Amino acid sequence: MPRVPSLRSRWMSAAAGLAVVASALAGCGSGGQGGPVTLNWYNFPDDSGALQQAADRCGQRSGGRYTIRYNKLPRGADGQRQQLVRRMAAHDTGVDILGLDVTWPAEFAEAGWIREWAGEARERGTADTLDAAVRTATWRGRLYAVPYNSNTQLLWYRDDLVKTPPRTWAEMLAAAEDLARAGKPHRVEIQGAQYEGLTVWFNTLVTSAGGSILTPDAQAPSLGAPAVAAATVMRDLARSVAADPSLPNQMEDQNRLAMESGTAAFELNYPFVYPSMKANRPELFPHFRWAPYPAVTPDRPASVTIGGIDLAVGAYSRHAELAFEATLCLRDRDNQLTNALEGGLPPSLRSLYQAAELTRSYPFAAEVLAALDSAGLRPQTPAYQNVSIAVSHTLSPPADIRPENDVADLRGQIQDALGSKGLIP
Amino acid sequence: MSARPSTRLSTRQARSLTGWGIANLAVVLYALFPVWWIVALSFKDPATLSDGDFVPRTWTWANYRGIFRTSEFTRALVNSIGIAVIATTVAVVLGTMAAYAVARLRFPGKRLLIGVSLLIAMFPPISLVSPLFDIERVLGLFDTWAGLIIPYMTFSLPLAIYTLSAFFREIPWDLEKAAKVDGATPWQAFRLVIAPLAAPGVFTTGILVFIFCWNDFLFAISLTSTTSARTVPAAIAFFTGSSQFEQPTGSIAAAAVIITIPIVVFVLLFQRRIVAGLTAGAVKG
Amino acid sequence: MTPVTPATPTAGARADAPRRPAGPSRGARQERRLGLLLCAPAVLVMLAVTAYPIGYAVYLSLQRYDLRFPAQAHWVGLANYGAVLTSTYWWQALGVTVLITAVSVAVELVLGLALALVMHRAVFGRGTVRTAVLVPYGIVTVVAAYSWQYAWTPGTGYLAALLPEGSAPLTEQWPAVALIVLAEVWKTTPFMALLLLAGLALVPEETVRAAMVDGAGFGQRLRLVILPLMKPAILVALLFRTLDAFRIFDNIYVLTGGSNDTGSVSILGYDNLFTALNLGIGSAVSVLIFGCVALIALVFVKLFGAAAPGAGPERR
Repeated sequence: MPRVPSLRSRWMSAAAGLAVVASALAGCGSGGQGGPVTLNWYNFPDDSGALQQAADRCGQRSGGRYTIRYNKLPRGADGQRQQLVRRMAAHDTGVDILGLDVTWPAEFAEAGWIREWAGEARERGTADTLDAAVRTATWRGRLYAVPYNSNTQLLWYRDDLVKTPPRTWAEMLAAAEDLARAGKPHRVEIQGAQYEGLTVWFNTLVTSAGGSILTPDAQAPSLGAPAVAAATVMRDLARSVAADPSLPNQMEDQNRLAMESGTAAFELNYPFVYPSMKANRPELFPHFRWAPYPAVTPDRPASVTIGGIDLAVGAYSRHAELAFEATLCLRDRDNQLTNALEGGLPPSLRSLYQAAELTRSYPFAAEVLAALDSAGLRPQTPAYQNVSIAVSHTLSPPADIRPENDVADLRGQIQDALGSKGLIP
Repeated sequence: MSARPSTRLSTRQARSLTGWGIANLAVVLYALFPVWWIVALSFKDPATLSDGDFVPRTWTWANYRGIFRTSEFTRALVNSIGIAVIATTVAVVLGTMAAYAVARLRFPGKRLLIGVSLLIAMFPPISLVSPLFDIERVLGLFDTWAGLIIPYMTFSLPLAIYTLSAFFREIPWDLEKAAKVDGATPWQAFRLVIAPLAAPGVFTTGILVFIFCWNDFLFAISLTSTTSARTVPAAIAFFTGSSQFEQPTGSIAAAAVIITIPIVVFVLLFQRRIVAGLTAGAVKG
Repeated sequence: MTPVTPATPTAGARADAPRRPAGPSRGARQERRLGLLLCAPAVLVMLAVTAYPIGYAVYLSLQRYDLRFPAQAHWVGLANYGAVLTSTYWWQALGVTVLITAVSVAVELVLGLALALVMHRAVFGRGTVRTAVLVPYGIVTVVAAYSWQYAWTPGTGYLAALLPEGSAPLTEQWPAVALIVLAEVWKTTPFMALLLLAGLALVPEETVRAAMVDGAGFGQRLRLVILPLMKPAILVALLFRTLDAFRIFDNIYVLTGGSNDTGSVSILGYDNLFTALNLGIGSAVSVLIFGCVALIALVFVKLFGAAAPGAGPERR
C-alpha cells in the first residue's frame, strides 16, 4: 500500500508538474537511473510563489541529490490538519516535510508522526531563531520541528481619526465611543467568529492579563481571574458601539475588508492587511498606522499569541536525512526573506528584522519583533484542537458571554477535552 | 401562485395568459437568481467583488483566467469529469443488468435486492466515510480515481436500478417476439427493436447518475488528499487568495460557474428526458 | 460519453428474451438463474462497499479509539453510545436536524405542489419552466451554498443589503437555521415538484372535470379529488426527501460550518471523526444517525403505508 501514493505522485509530477521536472533537470543534469530523490513537502497553499521558489531553489542547491515537490494543503487550518492527519495515520511514506501550524507539533509528536530534531540539526534549526517560535515546536523538552515563518497581530488604526493609539482595551473602547458620538468611523475589527481565531483572541487576552488557559504541565485548566478579565473584555467590546455588527461571523479577511471599506477605526490583525490596504485603498493608506496590541491592564503590556508555521520531518519518510537537510534549506535566510517579501509572512529569524530589504517593505518590523519577543503561546497539548473548540464554542457569540459562568463552564469542558472524553460540539 | 389563473380559464383568456406568464416568470426567477448571483460574482474584479451589486459594474475574465492558469483547477476538472463518467458508465451497466432482472424476471431474492438497495440509498454517507477511508488506505485506493469511483458507483446503483426498472417495465417486450416471428434474428430483434426502446431510459439514467456523482462533496473531501484525485467541489477549498487569510471569492465563483455549465447543458438538451427519468420511478414505485 | 453504454448491458435481454414465455419448469429455473446472474454484480458491489464499512463502523463504535493513538485502542462496550446520548451536543444537533428536516420538507411539499401544478397546467412556456426548475436540482450543492453564503454576508451580498443595517444572519442560530432551510428548499423543491408532477399525471382528467361540473372550487377539487389520488406519489416524495434532508451536510458545511449551534447530526459526526479524530465516538454518532434514518423509513412504511421505493415493482 504505502508505495502506491508515492509512485502515483511521481508519475503525476512527470505528467503535470512541468516546472518541477524542469527544475529537477536543471539541478542534476542527467540524473540517470537513480536520479535525485523527490521530497514531498506539504504546506499551506501559497499564491505568491514564494514557497515554490524556495522548493526549486533548494532542489537546485542540493547538487542533484534531491528535488522538493511542494504539495498544497487546503486553505483553512482545519482542512490542512485533516489532510496531514489522514496521511500520517495511513503511515504514508510519501510525506517527507510537513508544514505544521504552531499549535500542532505537540499532537503530531505525541502520535509519533514527526521526528525529533537532535544534535547538529537541532542547533542549525534553532540558531538565530525567535525564542517563542522555537517553544511552539518543542514538546516535553524535545524539539520536533523548526520554525518557518512566524506571525503576530498588531493594532492597526487610522491616524486621521485617532491621534495617539490607545494603549489599553478600555482606552480603545472609549476612543471608539467618542468617534461614534462624533459620527465618524469608529468600529474595532477583530476575529469574533466561532473558530480558532476566537481562541487566539481569548488566549491573547488571558496571557496579557498574566494568566494562561492551561497549567504549565498542560494537564489541567488554569484560567482563573485572568480568564474572567479576558472574557469581560470580549463581552464589553461585543456589547459596545465599537463592535462590528457581524462580529460573530468575522475572521481575519472580513476584518481586512471592513477596515478597507472605511467603516472601522481600529483593526487587530496580522501584517497582511498592510500591503492589501496599499493596493486596494491608496487614499486611506497614508493614514493606516500601527501600534502594539492594546493591554488588558495598564500596568502590564499585552502578550500577543504567536502564529506561524513550523516545519517537521515525517516519521515514515524514507529519506529522513535528506528531509532534515532540505528543511534547513527551506527555512534559510534567503527563503525566509522571499517568503516575507512576496508571501507577506514575518520571518522566524531574528537577524532578518534588522535587514534593510525587509524593513523597507515592513516599516513595522520593530513592532512585530517586539510583539514576538513578548509573545504568548496557545495551550501546548496534543488535545489543542479540542481545547480550542471548547473555548470558541463557549465564548460564542461574544455578546452573550457571562464571564464568571462561562469560565467555570470552560474549566469542565477543557478537562474533558484534555482527556479526549465525550463529544466535541 | 398557480391556483388563481387555472380556475376561470375559459372566460378570461387574456387574464389567464398574464397569470400564467407571471407564474412562469416567478418560477424561472426562483430557479435562476442564485445562479445568476454566482455568475455575477465570477465576473467582478477584486475591487468591486465586495460591493454587493447584483450586476457587475465592470466585467472581467480575470477570475477565469486565474483558475485556468494553474493545474490546481484544471487537474480537478479532469478528475471530476473522468471519475463521474467512469462511475456513471459502470453504475449504468450494472444497474441495467439488475433492473432488467427486476423488471422482467421472476427469481428468488428479488426482494432482498430491493431491500439492500433501499438500505444503501438511505444510508448516511457520513457513517461510511471513516471506515471507507481506513479500508482504502490499506488497499492503496486512497486518493486515487478508483477510490472515488467505487463509492460513487455504489451509491448511485440504487438510483440506477430504480429508475431503469421503471423504464423497462414500460417497454413493450412483445415487439421483440413479433420481430422474430417476422424472421428477424435475435440479434436483429435486439438491435432494431429492443435497443432503441431501451436506450432513452438507459441514457436518462446515465444523466441522473452523472449529476449525482458530479455533485458529491463529502466523499471528495474525505477520500482524497492531492490533486491526483481531488474533484472540483473539493478543490475549491484549496484555492488561495493573495495572502494566507484572504478569501479567494472570485476564483471560487468562477470555478462554481464552470462546474455548473455541464449541468445547464444537460438540462437544456435533455429536459424532457430528465423529467421523465425522475418521474418514472415515483409513479411506478 | 454516456451514449456508448446501452449496447452492452441490454445484451442480457437478448439472451433471455426468447425463453421468457416458456412454461414454469425448465424455463422458470433458467429464468431464476439468469435473474440471479444479472443481479449478482450489482449486489456484490453494493455489499462489498457498504457491508464491511457498516460492520466496521459498528465495531469502532464499541471502542475507545483515537486515530492518533491506535495502540491505546480498547473495548468500551456501549460507553460511546452513553457518552453521545448523554451529551447536550447530540440532542442539540438532533433538534436542529429534525427542525430543518420538518420545516424544509413541509415547505417543499407546499411549494413543490404549486410548482407541479404550474408545470402540469401551464398554458405556455412549459418547457422553459421545466428547464429552469431542473437547474436547482442539478446544480452542485456546494456551488449553490457558496452563492447563498456570499449573498447573505454583510458587505458583499445583495441579500444582506436588503436587511436592516448591521444584521449578519449567518451568525445567529435561528436566522442561520432559517437560511439553511431556505438553501435546502431552493435546491430540492424541484425534485419534490417533479415527483409530485408524476403523481399529478396519474389523476384522471375526467374525474377532475366531473368535480368541476359538480361545482367544486379549485380548493375543493384539490383537497377532495386531486390530493387523495396523489397520495402514493406524495408519500414517496415525502419519504425520499425526509431521508435526504435528515442527512443534510453540504449546505451547513459551507454556510455556517455548524457554528453557533447550527450543526446537524452529520456535521457532528464529521467533526468528531475528522477534527477530534475520535473514531469511537464519531462512529457511535454515525450508527445513531443510521438508526434514526431507518426509524424514519419504518414509520413511513408502517404508519402511512408508503410503498417503500422499489418494493412496489413486485407487488404491482
